[in-house]
Amino acid sequence: MKKIHLIGVIVIAVAVAVLMSAAGDVATYSNFEDAKKSGEKVKVVGVLCKDKPMEYDPKIDPNRFSFYVKDPKGEERKVILLAAKPQDFELSEQIVVTGKIQETEFVASDLLMKCPSKYKDEEVYIKGERKS
Amino acid sequence: MNKIEYIGEHLLPGQIGHFLIVLAFVAALLAVFAFWKATQTDGNAESRSWLHIGRVAFVTQGVGIVTVMGIIFHIMTQKYYEYQYVQLHTNDELPFRYIFAAFWEGQEGSFLLWTFWHIVLGIILLYKAKSWEAPVLATLSAIQVILISMILGVYFGDIKIGSNPLMLLRDVTEAPIFSKSNYVSLIKGNGLNPLLQNYWMTIHPPTLFLGFASTSIPFCFAIAALWTNRHRDFLTKVMPWALFSAAILGTGILMGGAWAYEALSFGGYWAWDPVENMSLVPWLILLAGIHTNLIAKVTGHSYKSTYIYYMLTFILILYSTFLTRSGILGDTSVHAFTEMGLEWQLVIFIFVFSLLGISLFFVKNKEIPVVTKEESADSKEFWMFIGTLVLLFSAVLITFTTSIPVYNKVGKALGFAPNFSSPIDAVGHYNKYQLWIGVFMGLLSGFSQYLRFKETKFANHWKKFIQHTGIAVIVSAILTFVTSYWIQLFAWQYWILAFTGIFTIVTNTDYIYNFLRFNMKAAGSAFSHIGFGLMIVGIMASGLNKMFISTNRFAQEGLIEGFTEDDYKKNIVLLKGKPMLMSGYEVTYEKDSIWGHNREFKVNYKKKTPTGETVEEFNLFPNILYDKEFKKIAASNPSTKHYVEKDIFTHVSSLPKAELDMDYAKQIEDSLKYVFKEILLGETYKTNKYSVTIDSILRNPTNKDYKPEVNDLVVGVMATVEDSAKTLKERVTTMLMLRGADLYTFPATVTDLKLKIKLDEKMFERTFTPESSLNYKEYIFSQGQAQKVGDAEIIFENFDKNPQNVNYKKEEKDVAVGAMLSVRKSNQTYRAEPIYIIRGNEPYNLKSEIGELGLHFRFAGIDPKSQTVTLAIAQSAPKNPKIPLQIADNHDSSEFIVMEAILFPGINLFWLGTVLMMSGLALSMVRRIKPTL
Repeated sequence: MKKIHLIGVIVIAVAVAVLMSAAGDVATYSNFEDAKKSGEKVKVVGVLCKDKPMEYDPKIDPNRFSFYVKDPKGEERKVILLAAKPQDFELSEQIVVTGKIQETEFVASDLLMKCPSKYKDEEVYIKGERKS
Repeated sequence: MNKIEYIGEHLLPGQIGHFLIVLAFVAALLAVFAFWKATQTDGNAESRSWLHIGRVAFVTQGVGIVTVMGIIFHIMTQKYYEYQYVQLHTNDELPFRYIFAAFWEGQEGSFLLWTFWHIVLGIILLYKAKSWEAPVLATLSAIQVILISMILGVYFGDIKIGSNPLMLLRDVTEAPIFSKSNYVSLIKGNGLNPLLQNYWMTIHPPTLFLGFASTSIPFCFAIAALWTNRHRDFLTKVMPWALFSAAILGTGILMGGAWAYEALSFGGYWAWDPVENMSLVPWLILLAGIHTNLIAKVTGHSYKSTYIYYMLTFILILYSTFLTRSGILGDTSVHAFTEMGLEWQLVIFIFVFSLLGISLFFVKNKEIPVVTKEESADSKEFWMFIGTLVLLFSAVLITFTTSIPVYNKVGKALGFAPNFSSPIDAVGHYNKYQLWIGVFMGLLSGFSQYLRFKETKFANHWKKFIQHTGIAVIVSAILTFVTSYWIQLFAWQYWILAFTGIFTIVTNTDYIYNFLRFNMKAAGSAFSHIGFGLMIVGIMASGLNKMFISTNRFAQEGLIEGFTEDDYKKNIVLLKGKPMLMSGYEVTYEKDSIWGHNREFKVNYKKKTPTGETVEEFNLFPNILYDKEFKKIAASNPSTKHYVEKDIFTHVSSLPKAELDMDYAKQIEDSLKYVFKEILLGETYKTNKYSVTIDSILRNPTNKDYKPEVNDLVVGVMATVEDSAKTLKERVTTMLMLRGADLYTFPATVTDLKLKIKLDEKMFERTFTPESSLNYKEYIFSQGQAQKVGDAEIIFENFDKNPQNVNYKKEEKDVAVGAMLSVRKSNQTYRAEPIYIIRGNEPYNLKSEIGELGLHFRFAGIDPKSQTVTLAIAQSAPKNPKIPLQIADNHDSSEFIVMEAILFPGINLFWLGTVLMMSGLALSMVRRIKPTL
């Protein structure tokens, strides 16, 4: 057997092993129900409930922002984000929160949001009157 | 529907521009054909004419694209908002220096930038590639065809090919406004995202896109070499281009990191974001290609891997472009582009060039030189090749995880419904695997320097090899141990990584000294490897050992409700003017100032010894950027104090709610209980808590939030505020400003007394009488004479040769004289002094007014002969001399910032490492250019 073949076999074996292990890190998007059942840290995709309250007061706690998210199964749950309120949050179309359920609330350490694309939502800016 | 004749549109640039895009596209197609024919007919007479046609076509294409770019710059600087691209990316407020940034903010602009670099590189090849010109430019032109098709903006039936950057707004959007013929004068621009308004946005994209464009060249050479069977010459020709590309692409990627670190509040230079990852991956493969290229050049091994690596680099650039521009990363990345509906075009792009590469490789597989004898395991080429496999493996792992959203898309298309998400702890995931990649690369780039190419007599050298490697291991182990006193290595894995990083520094330094004997021309690779080692150590120092110093557990306890242990570690609340101790520093948020949309906070740092002495003092200026309407915060920009051995990085992570949210601010304002008080100048208003004394009325008041404009009408009051115990005394000013029809109030606050003081609007009518409402009559006075005007007696007492007035700013060569008047009415005496000025041969006069009596005086003229003066006097209703104030004493001051401060030790090692690495690549490039000339 040539050395190159031997190396090939080793490389492929190591590659497969490591990739399998890396694949183990790949998560799936969850929902609140499963998050509650498992009690583990998960990612949930959902939409912001715009009719429910959003609370953020940095004087009380600059790292706590609470809002409600509706998951794909339709369940609405209060989410506490342990960070400052992101800019343009109200405009988000879709939210991905990473965290776990503690008691009744979903405590998120990380949040990603998808905002409406400005290419799609072409709004003509009309010169406005100055507001006092 | 009737066609509307629009007013004010500039249609010509768009028409010319679109024509040129189509022309460039056709010219690029012609160039492909001509260069292809020139290559196929090589050696025949007709080859030269094809080559000539190809050149003309390529240059035509280039001139076309460059002109289109010029047109876009033109319409952007002229602010022709009828064009969608202009409307989207600029506005009236955009400073000229950000025009370039605005140009490549959009997808179309960045594609143009990419094609621009291909044109530049292509022209160099026209001159320098000699016999390689035709086949290389054939492929490069083909890439241009596809890139230009991205901005073509042509429809075939319902299929849209490319997005034309010169579309009119009314052609892409439907809005009622377009029913107005003068719509152009009614629209305004959207402007450049404030986050991108900095010089990084001007320099980073051009560098990165030059990096992207330069990866095409090794690809084109690879295709050309396979096509024309010139495998040997290929290795020499392609190498400087590959090294150039690696240096530029690497610089571009690192510039992105530097931007993130210097100007954005990410708190680091690398975040394993998909967009970052996918520019890193092609670079890793390119480095692998450069290594096999060298192996092949010296030993004849690894021809095939060189082809594969170079072609893969370009394919990965395309894949990266697809990922970042198709919107597929929307869920996982913070800075992906948004989609423009051309994903399929990008996919075709990838397939066309992958297929071209793969099929050519297999067709010509038999002709690629292969050495039948194997590399021996004690040769340099063997371990270098293993090193390229490590690089490949690193790229595979990063791509595997970054591509997760693609699996979902592909799965969906195949009828499954996969629901994969990126790892919960993505950063941890990448670090965990890449750590070992770093270890292997450190080791391999270390000891393989002591090995020799085409080794056949290792037995003669093994002593030297063992000697150098052994000493390097010992030295590195000692240095690692020493380093561990400076930076903490929290786990055994980190010890190994630190050791391997130091090992490659030690071995490559030894290599320069003992093997190259300081022949610096040949030291490019050694420099790059030392740079790599420094980067590893720098990453461990600054990343692993970064420390949040914005913490003061004791002082803040209970101050902020709901703060968790973790938050206390990261953020500190700084009340304005109140020093706070944190991690050995006394920090004070001293003041803030606003210019444009920026608000800058001055934070003073004093380094204290345990005994309380100040040993060092400096200021940092983190700032935030408001959005267009000043309603929200668009970005928070850090400020960093740089030292040789560390950085102190600060940014404002939050502000009082009232400053984040204007609606809330209004709520707060509404909850204040203002009392209305009228106070005479010089008098004091007292309560049991505080007293307010009016010191002066200001005709030219200043305020940090007020930016004077022409025709503003302003008035202000300066007052002294004291508490009842007289322990606190503060001078404040509050002002009113009338701009157009809008009245603005600038309140004053006294934090400790919870006071907020506003000048009431009534102050305006008590200060200003519109001149147009006054009816002046002229009176002639001689000195000492008294005259009755209404029921007031006016005496002209004397001239004043040196008149003083708050509204008069003396200039050189002014001739000014005042008329000192005393006015008596109801047994009271008032004074007035109108001023007569000659400035530059023009007479002016400055009025004087006695508000209480409603008397207005102007000094209209002097008659030197008769020693008389002409005074214009007008009467109006008497004014109320009281100063109207609104005072609230339940104003809870919201003047604080929430600040995050991070100490990055040894971050300069990282930057030094990157600079060395890129310089090493550049040095090697220069060395490898020579043989090709």
